[in-house]
Amino acid sequence: MSKTVLEVKDLVVHYETDEAVVEAVNNISFSLEAGDTLGLVGETGAGKTTVALSIMGLLPYPPSHIVQGSILLDGQDITKLKERELRKIRGNKVSMIFQDPMTALNPVRTVGEQIAEVIRLHQKVSRKEAYQKAEEMLEMVGIPKERSKEYPHQFSGGMKQRVVIAIALACNPELLIADEPTTALDVTIQAQVLELMRDLQKNNQTALLLITHDFGVVADICKKCAVIYAGEIVEYGTVEDIFDHPAHPYTLGLFHSLPSLDEDVERLTPIDGMMSDPTDLPTGCSFCDRCDRATSLCSQSDPALVELSRGHYVKCHHCVKEEN
Amino acid sequence: MGALLEVQHLKKFYPTARGVLHAVDDVSFSLEGGKTLGVVGESGCGKSTLGKTILRLEDPTSGSIQFEGKEIGGLSTGEFKHYRKEMQMIFQDPFASLNPRMSVRQIIAETFDIYPELCPKEEIGKRVDELMDTVGLAKRFANSYPHELDGGRRQRIGIARALSMRPKFIVCDEPVSALDVSIQAQILNLLQDLQEQMGIAYIFITHDLSVVKHISDEICVMYLGQVVEQCATKELFNNTLHPYTQALLSAIPVPSLHNRRKKILLKGELSSPIDPKPGCRFAARCIYATEECHKSTPKLREACPGHFAACHHIGNMGET
Amino acid sequence: MAKMQTPAMARLARKNRRRKQEAGVSSLGYEAWKRLKRNRMAMIGMVIILLLIACAIFAPLIAPYDYEYQDYNAILQPPSGTHLMGTDNFGRDIFSRVVYGTRISIPIGLICVCISSTVGGTFGALAAFYGGKTENIIMRFMDIYQSIPSMLLAIAIAAALGSGMRNLIFAIALGTIPLYARVVRGAILTVKRKDYVQAARAIGASTGRLIIKHMLPNCVGPIIVQMTFSVAAGILTAASLSYIGLGIAPPTPEWGAMLNAGKQYLQTYPHMLIFPGLMIMITVLALNLFGDGLRDALDPRLK
Repeated sequence: MSKTVLEVKDLVVHYETDEAVVEAVNNISFSLEAGDTLGLVGETGAGKTTVALSIMGLLPYPPSHIVQGSILLDGQDITKLKERELRKIRGNKVSMIFQDPMTALNPVRTVGEQIAEVIRLHQKVSRKEAYQKAEEMLEMVGIPKERSKEYPHQFSGGMKQRVVIAIALACNPELLIADEPTTALDVTIQAQVLELMRDLQKNNQTALLLITHDFGVVADICKKCAVIYAGEIVEYGTVEDIFDHPAHPYTLGLFHSLPSLDEDVERLTPIDGMMSDPTDLPTGCSFCDRCDRATSLCSQSDPALVELSRGHYVKCHHCVKEEN
Repeated sequence: MGALLEVQHLKKFYPTARGVLHAVDDVSFSLEGGKTLGVVGESGCGKSTLGKTILRLEDPTSGSIQFEGKEIGGLSTGEFKHYRKEMQMIFQDPFASLNPRMSVRQIIAETFDIYPELCPKEEIGKRVDELMDTVGLAKRFANSYPHELDGGRRQRIGIARALSMRPKFIVCDEPVSALDVSIQAQILNLLQDLQEQMGIAYIFITHDLSVVKHISDEICVMYLGQVVEQCATKELFNNTLHPYTQALLSAIPVPSLHNRRKKILLKGELSSPIDPKPGCRFAARCIYATEECHKSTPKLREACPGHFAACHHIGNMGET
Repeated sequence: MAKMQTPAMARLARKNRRRKQEAGVSSLGYEAWKRLKRNRMAMIGMVIILLLIACAIFAPLIAPYDYEYQDYNAILQPPSGTHLMGTDNFGRDIFSRVVYGTRISIPIGLICVCISSTVGGTFGALAAFYGGKTENIIMRFMDIYQSIPSMLLAIAIAAALGSGMRNLIFAIALGTIPLYARVVRGAILTVKRKDYVQAARAIGASTGRLIIKHMLPNCVGPIIVQMTFSVAAGILTAASLSYIGLGIAPPTPEWGAMLNAGKQYLQTYPHMLIFPGLMIMITVLALNLFGDGLRDALDPRLK
């Protein structure tokens, strides 16, 4: 068994504003091993990005703060580290790809310099060596090294995202967090970038935490998948568990909401209503207002995450355990 | 019955510092009442400009737009006002398309300020309630402001505003792409219901092939300002002719582990349609491209009955 | 992994609910007001402004003497119990004159701003809306206009038309028109391409409706702020013009004119200058503080 790179335990994150307390992340636990790919799927406001920022130690404080829980990166609890120590980890052991490649690069520096900068921040190498490494990184993400002297505006959206990936992977991190890496890209470009990420991840044995709203992207590159709703993991398992035997009513609802390319469906069956207000979560199951299986039990007590079959966890009162 | 909307050789060019941008370049189609035409393409293919030009939010460079047999492309703003009531638009971004300083009621009722003949003053309140009911907005939101509501509700306001003048057709410019999937499905269902009840025709502009397949009767695939393939929805998915459409279809990440398509990865990226050279605009990325493709522009021709495609190699590459 | 439901969390949830109910009726104006209320300096400024306005309205009740009443037995008195701010060289009570002065200075500031913002704003809005040639003509004209120093322009106009409140207002207002043309044009340009403006065009809204209902309300922030600042600037210009004898003629108690009258007693009886000077300073400071706070409050990004 490969070593555990990341272990998030009972993480609770709140945002405190003057108006209210937003319960963004409520008791999330998961772990990632080297070479693992976990897709974190959820809708806007589910707390996906908050999880990512917590792991990077980039949560804006105030208004946000980690109420409880620990985030072990390579055995080290990063919630207890000082900013100076965090800086050594960021970009080195763990790096992040942001959603919008258009704003993630500094417009007044060449892409080569920007990649070399990360390398020089974390490794004791000369300027020249760093630049050579930067050129290698560019080649690795499929950009000819001659373009290292160009500025970000000379690249198209997909190319910029490749540069961002090159920066993220420059120091060979153990964990890569990708927050909606292809959402801002066109479909044909998205396919190219996903292909690249899959290859790189396979070759480098980097653990990948992919945050997305798109089940299609998860099916493309992930091995495991966690469905997150109102700051909680409601279903967790391998992609086979989630795609072929979805159990939680929310997961099922999401699948039924998607128009399919293969089947002809006259009408979609959406999930009723909308996500409960994270400043005012219900006492029981946070999905019970929208759930067609909800009973009085659901509105009174919050279900626990139980193991349905080996490695397949569901947080619902009404999912019956399979006997195998 | 004649077509509700007939667009012929429509062109919209923008002068830019680097040359003339061919945003919409010779697009023709017709739309019957109560039907949906899907317009699919990636960013920069001119699909939004096409929608805005038809509604005369942009003035066409050339070409004709006929609405119920009457030419509307060349009308002045004043003359066109009469037709505005018949054709409406739903915008992509429900956060940007509603005036943040107006309440929901004011936004929907504004139509009746502009066209007093549509609804007598004393019935405006009732009519707004009706409209909110039609699009599934609870009455308690009537005095809310857009920023207090979520994306799905905001998009419903946009739809109510478009419906307020009982239009014959609506241009939907990416109406669901800013919404979450569960909300997206609610809005798609609403749009379908409205079409059934009121017989509204849609031009449905989107980059999402699975959405367009779900809602459209006919589909236009656009690439850099031109239509590359056009036919009935079923036909397009069962018998994809144009190499660009094939690549587009294969590139969609499918939310399933089974019957996965083999991906056709396109080389390169979209160029911009500024002063395009003659030849097929897709040639640089196309796996089938030959010398001919770089030299002469393929015409949109009927490859099989009702199925149009613009490619020199249809038939040669074998029907996939 | 059951969610804990400690009493503390239940309290939290209740508090959240209550806060939301309070905020339930919120409109943008209400939210801006809430933000403004939190800004202490702005609130101090606002209170001072309100006091000054009250002072102008109730001047006859507040002032112990008539502003024109001359007591030759009590000329050039230092501040005392009977004359709070002392008396001037004609034996007039300075406190009363300062109080009556608000009736001149505050309206001058307000009316100037109303005139220049309406005229300048209209030009700016038209320039931004139509763009192209119209914009070029209007804005180049404003450029030329603005290249004339506004003080010089005001002096020239005041000198040509003679003194008096109406001419003074006219002279000051004319000088700040290009400023508003610029501010409004900039503001309209930022909202011109917004989707909701397109949406209003799509339902057939006329040009006037587009500008008045959809564009202006969404860019009032910078305009209102500019207005508070130029009320202060207007009061200062009026005082300066009066000081050099081109504004309000004595015996009308304008603060600038009072400064002018007191300048020869600067060394012997400084109280004649200090009090009207102080009033100008306080008024301008209050308006600037309020303007600053308003700018922050109206910007929803600074939430």
